[in-house]
Amino acid sequence: MTIAPAQRPVRSIRSRVLGQRHDQAKPERPVLVLHDVTKEYPNGKLALREVDLVIPEGDFVFLVGPSGAGKSTLIKLLIRDELPTRGEVVLDGQDLAHLPRRQVPRMRRKIGIIFQDFKLLPTKTVWENVAFALEVTGTSRSRIRPAVDRVLALVGLTEQAQQVPSQLSGGEQQRTAIARALVHDPRLIIADEPTGNLDPLISWEILQLLLRINELGVTVMMATHNAQVVTALRKRVVALEEGRIIRDEVGGAYHRED
Amino acid sequence: MSLAATATMVLMLLLLAGFWIIQTGLLAGLQFTEQKVEVVGYLQTTATANQIATLQAEIAAMPEVANVAYVDRDTALERFRASMAAQGREDLTQYLDSNPLYGSLEVKLVDPTNFGTVGDALRADPIVRNVINIEDLVERVLTVTNVLRTAGTVVLVIVGIIVLFIIVNTIRLAVVARAEEIEIMRLVGASDAFIRWPFVFEGAMVGLFGSLLTLGILAAVADPISGFMADFFRVLPLQFGSLTRDLVALVLGAGVGLGVLGSWLSVRTYLIR
Repeated sequence: MTIAPAQRPVRSIRSRVLGQRHDQAKPERPVLVLHDVTKEYPNGKLALREVDLVIPEGDFVFLVGPSGAGKSTLIKLLIRDELPTRGEVVLDGQDLAHLPRRQVPRMRRKIGIIFQDFKLLPTKTVWENVAFALEVTGTSRSRIRPAVDRVLALVGLTEQAQQVPSQLSGGEQQRTAIARALVHDPRLIIADEPTGNLDPLISWEILQLLLRINELGVTVMMATHNAQVVTALRKRVVALEEGRIIRDEVGGAYHRED
Repeated sequence: MSLAATATMVLMLLLLAGFWIIQTGLLAGLQFTEQKVEVVGYLQTTATANQIATLQAEIAAMPEVANVAYVDRDTALERFRASMAAQGREDLTQYLDSNPLYGSLEVKLVDPTNFGTVGDALRADPIVRNVINIEDLVERVLTVTNVLRTAGTVVLVIVGIIVLFIIVNTIRLAVVARAEEIEIMRLVGASDAFIRWPFVFEGAMVGLFGSLLTLGILAAVADPISGFMADFFRVLPLQFGSLTRDLVALVLGAGVGLGVLGSWLSVRTYLIR
């Protein structure tokens, strides 16, 4: 008779899989808080209006809405590519507007970001693409190797480690991008239309991978137009329209259900 | 970066170095011409050797004077005969029973604009018979040389600016081609310095390699061109060897400096706003 392993809190499972230690969260602090955020571009376009949003640790959020609703602007604010005109964007307890320029790279390392067009470096192998995210932060080689091997195993690309992106399928390229987003152990994964370039079957694979990562304790925010996926999964849905949050519903569908 | 940028760098540095060489040659030529300006004082036949030596020493002591040469009457006659012979004319002085020429002090000036002071000093001495009035000639020479000097400098500055823009833009193109790599670095949290460093290093390498190549080409063509120029400007004592150190400094400095500057400016566009 074998003894079942003791139940562990979510965070320590994540630590075990990713091989990195985390401070045991005492009182849970939201990963992300947007308070009264308004973004007006220099050309006068109001991209976001008075947006309030709280995303707790471990959440899985779909960000939906038509093109031009403000999803991309929201993501740009989160990675501090843009600053809000008014309001606060607080990531992991730190207001991005008051973050000195020098601290921005350090803050970005708390976020893993995934794009529709993958943004892989074509001349580097899968392994090098993933390792790149650690190299730029000055991580030592001896720590890069096990970390990269571990995330590649997690996304199921151990076999393809030495191939370059052009040799991979779209789904494999996106999994490489996910591995890269994950390798520096971020608090938050932002996926901007990650399935936009993929066929439905592969899209489900990517979704399942993101769900698994979420189960390991990483907060995931995914902007998407894929109604089928959103409606089927019944996760939290934040709908934007004309720069406003018009719906924020746990267990929601892509469209409003009344 | 690499090939296209290095090639552009080499061509532009050759252009810059070429204009620099022309400018230096021009300056040497102008200086040579200006040195030809002499103040000549003709001496009374009654002047004693002692008086002449005293005057020569006085003039030589003036700060405006580069050197003073005494040409005695016999030497003056010999020179005259030599120049007649060189022109293939009959020497008429042989029919004279005495030397009709005067001895003279030939004064070379540090700066040709000071001919007036030196002329006055010569005239003040009673043993000086007369001083040739060279005012008009000097003024014309100086006008021409000053215009050429200014024009040369202006052209060199314009060429320098053109070279700067072309090199910076070539490097910018090379950086733009890697914009996506820079964007990825930013998104995964690379610091500005981390992103900038490889580009600046590469810019410096392109500059260094380009300037060494340029210097190699210059060294290879220096001798034939120098020979040609010496034939062409037979009268001018142009020496290309003496330019080398300045030229090496110019080419290396411009190459590496522009490489670094170009990379720095180009990458800055992509860094955190």
